[in-house]
Order: sequence, then structure tokens, then C-alpha cells
Amino acid sequence: MSLLLNIAVDGIAYGMILFMISVGLSVTMGLMRVINLAHGAFALVGGALAHTITLRWGIGYYVAVPLAIAGTIALALLSERVLFRRIYRLGELQQVLATIGITFMVIAVVNRLLGSSLLSIPLPASLQHSLDLGFRVLPAHRLVVILAGIAVIIGLVLTLDRSRFGTRLRASVDNRNIASSLGINTDRIYAATFCLGAGLAALGGILGSELLPIDAYYPLRYMVLFLIVVSVGGMGSISGSFAAALALGVLETASRYLIPDAGTIVFFALVMALLAFRPAGLLGKGMT
Amino acid sequence: MARVPFLAEAVMLACAVAAFYVFPYDLALITRFLVMILFVLSLDLVLGYAGIATLGHAALYGTGAYAAGLFAVHVSGDPLTGLAVGAGAGALLAFASGLLLMRSHGLTLLMLSIAVTLICQEIANKARDVTGGADGLRGIRMEPVLGIFKFDFIGRTGYWYALAVVVACYAVLKIATLSPLGLSARGIKDSAARMVAIGSPVYWRLVTVYTISGAIAGIAGALAAQVTQLVSLEVYAFNLSAEALIMLVLGGAGRLYGAVIGVVIFMTVHHVAAAVDPFNWLFIIGALILSVVFLVPSGVLGIPAAISDLFRRGNDAARP
Amino acid sequence: MHIFKRAALAATIAALCSSDSWADTIKVGVIAEFSGPFAMYGKQYREAVETYVAKHGTQAGEHTIEFIYKDVGGSNPDVAKTLAQELLIREEVDYLAGFTFTPNALAVAPLIDQSETPTVIFNAATSSINKGSQYFLRTSYTLPQVTAPLADWTFDQGIKTVVTAVSDYGPGIDAEKAFKAAFEKKGGKVVDAIRMPVATTDFTPFIQRVRSQNPNAVFAFLPGGPPTFGFTKTYNENGLAKSGIRFLGTAETEESNLQALGDAAIGLTTAFHYSAAHDSDVAREFNKAIKDKFPNAITNWASVGAYDGTHLIYEMVKAAGSDGPKALEAVKALKWESPRGPVEMDPQTRTVKQNVYIRGVERDTVSGLLVNREKGVIATVGDLGWTQ
Repeated sequence: MSLLLNIAVDGIAYGMILFMISVGLSVTMGLMRVINLAHGAFALVGGALAHTITLRWGIGYYVAVPLAIAGTIALALLSERVLFRRIYRLGELQQVLATIGITFMVIAVVNRLLGSSLLSIPLPASLQHSLDLGFRVLPAHRLVVILAGIAVIIGLVLTLDRSRFGTRLRASVDNRNIASSLGINTDRIYAATFCLGAGLAALGGILGSELLPIDAYYPLRYMVLFLIVVSVGGMGSISGSFAAALALGVLETASRYLIPDAGTIVFFALVMALLAFRPAGLLGKGMT
Repeated sequence: MARVPFLAEAVMLACAVAAFYVFPYDLALITRFLVMILFVLSLDLVLGYAGIATLGHAALYGTGAYAAGLFAVHVSGDPLTGLAVGAGAGALLAFASGLLLMRSHGLTLLMLSIAVTLICQEIANKARDVTGGADGLRGIRMEPVLGIFKFDFIGRTGYWYALAVVVACYAVLKIATLSPLGLSARGIKDSAARMVAIGSPVYWRLVTVYTISGAIAGIAGALAAQVTQLVSLEVYAFNLSAEALIMLVLGGAGRLYGAVIGVVIFMTVHHVAAAVDPFNWLFIIGALILSVVFLVPSGVLGIPAAISDLFRRGNDAARP
Repeated sequence: MHIFKRAALAATIAALCSSDSWADTIKVGVIAEFSGPFAMYGKQYREAVETYVAKHGTQAGEHTIEFIYKDVGGSNPDVAKTLAQELLIREEVDYLAGFTFTPNALAVAPLIDQSETPTVIFNAATSSINKGSQYFLRTSYTLPQVTAPLADWTFDQGIKTVVTAVSDYGPGIDAEKAFKAAFEKKGGKVVDAIRMPVATTDFTPFIQRVRSQNPNAVFAFLPGGPPTFGFTKTYNENGLAKSGIRFLGTAETEESNLQALGDAAIGLTTAFHYSAAHDSDVAREFNKAIKDKFPNAITNWASVGAYDGTHLIYEMVKAAGSDGPKALEAVKALKWESPRGPVEMDPQTRTVKQNVYIRGVERDTVSGLLVNREKGVIATVGDLGWTQ
């Protein structure tokens, strides 16, 4: 019984971290249909900024994190104007390569400026303690990630499914020409969505850094992890990514508890089986 | 461009032979070029001809490497038989995984191919008693090629051996791409739906193409294992798959010789940049990839066409 | 051997390179990571080598020493072998050095045997590498060398039950076996041996498993960087320290990532051969020299491995110039005072014999930084894994 409870608690906590680190990618890749392997690069930029602001400039965590996210969004806006807006129109393979190229360059720049060791983002004292759940303890920052994850999914569903912005975005992605002939400023919609994705990537990178620490090679080290969550969730579906992240979190945690020796193989075999039977992912809306 | 039949191939072969005399100190390095050329050629068959984008080609390369390595350690040090074993192992894995992979496409296919590679890597890591795990598979001793040519210190035999294998495989691939199978692969790339409509068994064609590609990738892996005399878990690295893809697109996919040019450019840039400024070479590679994607989308081989396009566009500037 | 060397090398060299005017310059090829996720190693080696050269000059005996650096980019035996060939044939180096990963070192073994090139390993810690060629010398350590003394010490502290938790790959399993063998020989009990997949990012399940066994201590072995970071954080947050389960490790608290671990690291116990806070004049001098030359430098075991390795190379060049076998003979029992403490070469295993210290992580009152504070020497040993 306590084993099941442990699996549930840790699985959900881990799943939320998976969701937070990949939700930015669900936005750019899932909604905008750009194979954006540079997602991790924006998470890295956010994390590196947070590290610099807290540790090198000595500014408090609660101010530093919004600043770092704002900085990442500013950078994303700039790069959207210069680079990404040209990438949307390319073929899949070209998108893969272009965004890998950008990732390489970001890694090289961070490596040059901050070196290749871990870039820690120290938590404030208020988040360093652990909560007593009765049968065990849960670190406070994991609870923060769970709450942030719930807030993000609710916010995104409201913005994308219910608001005018969401309708316009879907119209723009489905048929850009008709959307713009209807008077929708598709350029601005794309830029806004891209910045949203980058901002979420930065947030996820920072919040997830207690588990997946930031360093220059972050984007490549965890690229496969991001891609798994989005592809299992299904393209074009934020709620799909949410479900997939939780399912994968619980699945991986369960395999670590129950069959640690074969955990990795079983995990990937199950992911393969799922993708084989549901190529469009859990909640995917068919192939693009 | 090439009106003379096999002109590109003849020029490349001449360059390869000349390289032996021009770079006598760098034979080991050029031999690594040759191994990588073979690996990227095998990817070209899949991506350039059949239009299947994968990020898991290292699975086939690595399996070939381990198969040839284990064969050399436990059965026989004969190089050519070792290559055959590597080819068989690569083809077998390609066939088995191809049954699943060839049913999907796009992002799903990318993910499935990555998953296959990760599973292979974990198995090799787990089977430490057989593969040596993270320490690497050691104890590979090679007999002379054909019983005559001994592998020497500076890598002369290794060079000619690798070149011969690459030339032979290139010929096989050339024939395959000109055969009905190769032509129908191109048809599938252009429009799978139309190929189904004219009664072509699309799925089985793709599995066949993937299996052939697996055999060639397996030979590339086997060659690497024989030349290095050690196999490490890095043969399954994600980087290897990704770099092969970059090299192929850099040179231009779907032409075979584009693979050769892409490898030579990428590895030369890497080698020089890593020697001059290892801390920042990744930036240079990133910039190189970006400029190819934006300036010459069809790869370096497309440069002449891109330039003439540019002039034409200049002349037709008035047109929308 | 000697005849073979001449046949293989001299023929080419004579044919392709006419002048022999560089005979006075002895070249050393350093094969290490200068790019990629492990670029930290290359940086540490290079800083240490250049600091040694700055202090002792480029002159060793009658010869001038020159170092040539080559980037291998990670665990990459194909590249390592190619680079070694390039260095030996084109650059005509007489010594090789570097080698962070075991496969890279193993891949060059046949080459250095044939060319009789002494090769100093700055890091790679798998015991059996030195059996691959008699020309390997190692100034770092081997896994059993620090793990077995830790197990003995643990038992002597009254700790009777231990759970081992190691990353599921070669070095992790070697560490697990070495710890278990030594600990159980003493009479202790390893109640559970957990092997954690290399790709693990969330260590909570394993930490919970340790907790449920309620041992006196947990012995951990993980690769540096993110895995160590994740494991130590999780260990702390789940209250293992509070419930009396001690953390025992080796390289986990190494200096380059120690500050990033934060307060979570305070109190972690490790057994290792080098601490940047080692209390001796040689150590302080070494730290100062490196920081004068490279203001942002941090010294760790990779730095000291390279620094002592450079010392070994200087001694070999002084004694024998470019004569490999003679050079090997000259230093096979060399003793010197290293920044880690007194060391000497073991003629049989060709790995350094050195002190293993027990340390605890503390916050230094002067600098405010985390340091590995040495509490005492628990053994003075050579490679304990050689005969296994």
C-alpha cells in the first residue's frame, strides 16, 4: 500500500516536472507545427539568466525568476524576427537542422560565457524545507512545480481553447493565407505564440533545475526527454502533453520502484508500443 | 551537371587515391572519413531516396560494430568475414525494427528510431560480460586482409581496405538506386499515395530499402570496429545519428556523391576548427548548418544552381 | 620490439621527413576533452600542465619540452586512436598523456606498445587499463584504491549495515563490487545493492528504497555533474541524513561542481586522494600558482592528476630523453611530494601509491565556500584492483 502511494506521489511529482520542462515545446511544436529542437536552448537561456541574476548579481529568487523569463522572451522575440519566422515555412527536415544549428550556437555561447560546469539556481530558504505527508516527506519545491503545472495547464487551456487569441492562432496554423485575408495579423500571432513557448521553456527550465540541473549541454542532454513527452502526447494537443507527462512520470517512477534493473528498456519498449498503436499520440489530432 | 557517365564517381576515386600520397601522415584520419562516408551513404539510401527521416541510424551502425567485434574476439580475426557478420547484424536489426518503423512517419518515426537506438545502447550496457560495457569491447585482433596485407602502424592497409569496401558498397548502392526497387523508392518519396494507387507494395518496398541500408550501416560499423580494434557504447550515440543527418543534408541528399561531399566538408571543418579552437567549434558548426539551410537548401551541391537562380532572380526582379 | 619500432616508424619518418633538427625538443601529446559536455577535463589538465611549465620552465635536463593538445571530445575510442596515430607519426611525439575515459586509453594500447611510447593517464580509473600495455603510467587513482579503504573505515566506525546505490555502468559496478568485497570481509553486511540506470533523472524511488531498508549508511557512486547533483539533493530532501543514514562516497563532492551542490552537500562523507583544501605548503603553493595564472581556476582531482603527470613526464625526459623503455625504468619507483600529499610510483601496477583521506564537506569560515575538509588518512595504498 505504501509502495503504491509512493509511486503515485513521486510519479505525479515527476510527471509535473516533465510537463513543465516540455510544455513550451508543446506550444511551439504542437500548436505552431514547427519541429523546434531549439526548445532546450530557450530553457538553457532562462536557466543561465536566473543563475547569473541570483548568484552573480545577488538578486533574490522571486525577483530573479520573472526577470530571467522576461529576458528569455525578449531574446525569443528578437530571434523570431531574425530567424524563426523564416523557419516556419521550411520543410520538416530543414526545420530539424536549422533548430539544431541554433541549439549548437546557443550552447557554444553559454559555454564561452559561463563555462561548462553546473549553473545552480539556489532556492530561497522558504522552498528548501520538506513537507511531512504522514507516511513520508515531500520536498517543498516539488509542490511548487505541481502547483505551477496545474496553473499553466489551466491558463493555457483558457487562452488557447476559449479566447479569441486561441481561435486566431488555430486559424493561422490551419491556413495562414486565408487567416491573413480575413484580417488576422498572422505575423503577430505567430510571434506572440513563439514567445509564449520560449517563456514557458524558461520557466520549465528554472523550475525543473532541482532535478535536471542547468549546464551548457542541457538542450542536447534532455532533448530526447522533451520529444518523448510531446510525441506521446500528440501533436497539436496541450492537454495531450499534460496527460502524457503524467503517464510517463508515473510509468518511469513505477519501473524504478518495481523493476529497476530493466527499467530503461521496459520504459522505451512501452513508449514504442504506444507510438506503434497510436502514431498520433495519446490525444493527437491525426497526422500533419 | 555531369554529362559524362560516372564523372563524379571517377573524380572522387581519383581524389581518394591522391589523398593517400598527399596526406601520408593523416591516413588514420582519412580512414575515419571513409567509414563515415559509408555510414552517411547508407542513410542517403533511406532519406535521400525513400524520403524517410530517422534519428536512429546509429542503432544499425553500432550493432554492426558489436557483431563484428564479438566475431573477431570469439570466432575469427578474418576481416572480410567480419564485415559480412556486421552486414548481417545490421540488416537483421533493420528488418526487425523496420517492420515497425516503416508504418509510421514524421515525428513518430523520429521518436521510434531514437527509442530503438536507446534500447540497443542499454542492452549493450547491461550485457557487460559480453560487450565490456562502458569500458569498451577489447581484445579485437585482426588477421591480414585476404591473408596477405597486414594492418600496419600508420594505417596504410587500413586505408586501402576501407577505400575498397567503400567503393564496393558505393557500387552496390548505385545499382540499387537505378534498379526498379530504387526507382519505386523515389516514387514513394514523391507520393506514397500514387504508388499505392499503381499497385506498388509501398510498405514492403520501404522495409526492403531499410534492410539494405541496415546492411551497409552495419558494414560501416564493422569497419570502424576493425580499424579501431575497440567498440564502445558511443557507437549508439544520438550525436552520431544527428551528425550523419547534418552531413548528408550539407552535401545534398538523394545523389550518393552528395553524402561523400557532405562528410568531407563537415569532418574537415570539424577537424580544423577543433584543432584551432576546440572550445568554440560547436558555434562554427551551428553557423555552417544554418547557412546551408537558409542559403543552399539542396546542399553544397546545389550551390551552382543557387547562384544561377540568384542571377535569374535579379533579372526577373519585376516579377512577383 | 625495438626492431619493430624502427621498421614501422623509421622507414616512414626517414622517407617523409628529412631533417632531424628538432631532436632537442621532446614533444608530449595530450589527448583530452576540450569540447563537448566533458570539456571541463581538458581545461583542468591544460591549466595544471601550463602551471607546471610556468614554474619549472620548458627545459627538462638537456631537453626542451613542448606540449601539443588534441581534442577527443568525450568517450570516443575511434578519435582517440586516430589522434594518437597523428601525434606519433606526424608530430613525432615521444610521450602521450591525458585520457579521461577508459575506452580512449584502451584504444591506444597497441600503438604505444609498438612505438614504445610512455603514456601518462591523468584520469581514467579502471584498474585493468595498465594491463593493456606496459607503457601506461597512471597519476590519478583506481576505483578499488579509494573504495576498499572507505569500506574498511566505515566498518571501523561501527557502521554494520550499508546499502550500495551505484549508476548502472562499468565504473559504478566496479565500485559496488570493491565496496561489498572489502566491507563484508570485515564482517559488515551490504543489505541491498541498487543499480540505478544511467539515464535516471529523478532519484526519489531509489532514495525511498534506501530509506525503507533503514541501513546505517548508503554508499553511492555516480558520474560527476547532473547525476551526482540530483542524487545528493534527493538524499537531503528526503530526510535520510536526519534519520541517521550516512552518505558515503568518493568523487561525488569533487571541487568543480561542489559549490553548485549548495548546502545540501554539507556533512557528506567521502574517501578520496585529493582535496583542494589539503593542508600542506605544496598544496597551498599549487593552488596559488594556478590561480595566479588562471584567476577563475578551480583545482580538483583532474588538476592534480595532470600536475603530477607532468612532473612524471619531466622526470622521464630528464633521465632518458626520448628513450621510452629507459624512461619507464627511471621513474618506476619515483617518490615526490604532490599537492595531494606524498606519493610514489608502484613498479608493478604503474599507478601511484598514495594516501586515501576521509573528508567531510564543510563551509570554510574564511572564504565562505564549500570545501572537502580532510579528517585523516585511512590508508596508504597502491592499486588494490590489480590482482582481481
